[in-house]
Amino acid sequence: MIQLNIFSFSLIFSLLFTISITNAIEIPEKFQKSNHTNNWAVLVDTSRFWFNYRHVANVLSIYRSVKRLGIPDSQIILMISDDMACNPRNPRPATIFNNAHEQINVYGDDVEVDYRGYEVSVENFVRLLTGRVPPDTPRSKRLLTDEGSNILIYLTGHGGDGFLKFQDSEEITSQELADALEQMWQKRRYNEIFFIIDTCQASSMYEKFYSPNILATASSLVGEDSLSHHVDSAIGVYIIDRYTYYVLEFLENVHPNSKKTMSEFLAVCPKSACLSTVGVRRDLFKRDPSKVPITDFFGSVRPVIITTDPIDIQEIPKRRKSQSINKTKVPEKREYLPQFPMHLVQTNNY
Amino acid sequence: MWASASFVGVLIIIGVPLWWKTTEVYRVALPYDKINAFDPMSHFISSELTVLANDDKTAQDIAKQIEKAFEQSDVIKLKIKKQVLSKELQHILDSVADEQEALEEVAATFNTNIHNTFYVVQRKPLFKDVWVGTERVAFFRDVKAAPTLVEALVHWIYEPSVLNGARSETADPARQIRFPSGPGFHVVLSVVHPKPQLMKVDFNARDAVEDYIGSFVDEISDLHNFTLKSQWLHLLEFNFEAKEVTDSPGDRHFAVRQDRLPLLLTRLEERAATHVSERPTLNLALYVVPCDTAPLVLYDADNKRVSSPVQAFMSPKWGGVVLGNPTQQECQEKLYKPNVNLIMGTFLSQLRKLLGITDKRAVGGARLEALRRAAPRRWERDALLRLRALEQLASAQASLASLAELLGEISNIVINDEVGASINLAVDSIQRAGQLLERGDLLEAHKYAQQGFLAAETAFMEPSLLALLYFPDDQKYAIYIPLFLPIMFPVVLSLKNLILWFRGKPVHKEKID
Repeated sequence: MIQLNIFSFSLIFSLLFTISITNAIEIPEKFQKSNHTNNWAVLVDTSRFWFNYRHVANVLSIYRSVKRLGIPDSQIILMISDDMACNPRNPRPATIFNNAHEQINVYGDDVEVDYRGYEVSVENFVRLLTGRVPPDTPRSKRLLTDEGSNILIYLTGHGGDGFLKFQDSEEITSQELADALEQMWQKRRYNEIFFIIDTCQASSMYEKFYSPNILATASSLVGEDSLSHHVDSAIGVYIIDRYTYYVLEFLENVHPNSKKTMSEFLAVCPKSACLSTVGVRRDLFKRDPSKVPITDFFGSVRPVIITTDPIDIQEIPKRRKSQSINKTKVPEKREYLPQFPMHLVQTNNY
Repeated sequence: MWASASFVGVLIIIGVPLWWKTTEVYRVALPYDKINAFDPMSHFISSELTVLANDDKTAQDIAKQIEKAFEQSDVIKLKIKKQVLSKELQHILDSVADEQEALEEVAATFNTNIHNTFYVVQRKPLFKDVWVGTERVAFFRDVKAAPTLVEALVHWIYEPSVLNGARSETADPARQIRFPSGPGFHVVLSVVHPKPQLMKVDFNARDAVEDYIGSFVDEISDLHNFTLKSQWLHLLEFNFEAKEVTDSPGDRHFAVRQDRLPLLLTRLEERAATHVSERPTLNLALYVVPCDTAPLVLYDADNKRVSSPVQAFMSPKWGGVVLGNPTQQECQEKLYKPNVNLIMGTFLSQLRKLLGITDKRAVGGARLEALRRAAPRRWERDALLRLRALEQLASAQASLASLAELLGEISNIVINDEVGASINLAVDSIQRAGQLLERGDLLEAHKYAQQGFLAAETAFMEPSLLALLYFPDDQKYAIYIPLFLPIMFPVVLSLKNLILWFRGKPVHKEKID
């Protein structure tokens, strides 16, 4: 009887073993490769007022990193709800720093803010995600993603259990956010989403997600505060949050062709450094984060096809319909008169 | 007792239904059964094919082989007609020297201008088995050419695999290159001149766009509307990180790696201001290479030199770039005159692919006459109509189906009358377009498919769907409970007494002395 048991056990074991082996064989390396064709980033800072300087610094630092890693401005939606650079309390106007050493001005050249000030509202954020924007919205303020888009969503601000505060006046609930993402999924507006949130009780925001292909991480668990990193005494307020600080430290060593994986990113801020527990939700995400390169979300893919078959046009075409061309009128050239009208004065040389 | 009865009457009999009615999410009745019955794979397109041969047996054989090849295809159904060529036409076809004249002869007898038709005509003196030109006619030599002919029909004319890709959920390679369907596109030709102080460029961008691109887009105006624009971008420099390679003494070129090219697109986007139009933009850029790095030569992913008459590349769903290399002589004269024909021909070749005209792969034994004009081939237009009609039908159906599913999942989405109207319009247009496709009326079918597609898109993307009735259920109770519970308590508790009272039983026990 015992022997039989052993036999059956070994049979089961061998069976399991072969199954695991065949599984391993069936999932080739390619399975882990993403089939996305473009990358987008939605970076949102939701809080106003000077003492929230650090949130603006957070979002601008992430903006700078994704831009450096290759996502073009046209595919980054940046929402900043207050203008710290022009705040009268800013001792160095038109700059925002994310470090007390003031090495990098994250508000340097080429920052394209898409939604600013009171435009950053729950309604606009949900409209942006779901694509239900008013018809007169310019294309630069739309999230024009498609079925092949990988989207990086980064939110920072003040949050609580199940909500994220916008502008001190309203809040988005985790349910609303989850529904918005589901509507994106249904409309095939994304391939995969990487969701980062740096707020207090941040993990409550992703708990209600139910759409597939989302990898989410948060700076703190429910019941925990997310803390700031350090004060710049010249500016007088905290200038960056702990989680984002360590994320940036990590991203500084990432290059467009580096081989770092998402699991390294997810482990970026241990409790000893962050003082809060970093939450991760990976059950909706189909791939193994340890096999996903970080550039799938932070970098940008742009396939290029070399053209080698120009059409050899024999006769120069003339458009048949002569449509009215609105020629801009070229103004006639004008010249400056000489400074001293000597040509009007008859000079006689004696 | 009357007092508590009236409280119950007001609160429960009038109040609850009133509250129910007023907080109800407004939704127009939608044709859910029709939407749920949609199946993008059920649509097929009928197309007419006429076989013209010298004798009855050849016609039979050819027709049978074609029929067999398209039998399993569920996306395209061919209606094959057979006909024997008249003796004189046979004679003329066999005697005329080149194919172009033969085409004219065929066109004189048969009407090749009708959409969605195709003629397969026998012509003995052919160099190859099969010849296909710009008209809706293919020539074949004899019965032995049948397999080649079938292959040409499958890969060039009808392309069932691409059509299948258009209606499937996942994007096939062709769909990853072409722009998604839309009512219109904005085509911008930017001439990028990084160092205008060193060289003059003699290029009339406006006329080039108008003549070359204009005459191309006029031909496909049934599919999309186009706005054309040209602009000059000065002082936009880009570091190609080109390596100097000396071919022979005095003759050099600069090598550019392919992985450097996407960054040029990013750089162009900064200045090209393509967001000015509300339509999707097709970017075309002529980059005038400065003399100190000319000529630039592209190296492909395997680091091999690209041999092509022109250095150009395109990016799917974005547009194309041509590098204009001035010659040494032009550099000395400081005047660059681009070869307009070549450059615009390259842009047209890119534009064709971006708009959905596929690359035609080589078929052994068959000759596809090279395109020598701006306009697309006639049968390519038919293929494009088929493709876009199917694609828009599938997309509209998917939008409606997911909207219906969302309405089930998320209970507080408002559907007002306008959204309801566009959903109904979309459903009707989709059905009509499907019937027209089955009949083979391509132009009308495409019109309805586009109408359905646009209506479905507006229904899904209608801003009013987010009208602020967005209020999760758990938060509702946070408001209702403190509001209603204190009032409802005494009312509900008094119910028992009321019932007793209605039954005629004494409510209070009489005091017994």
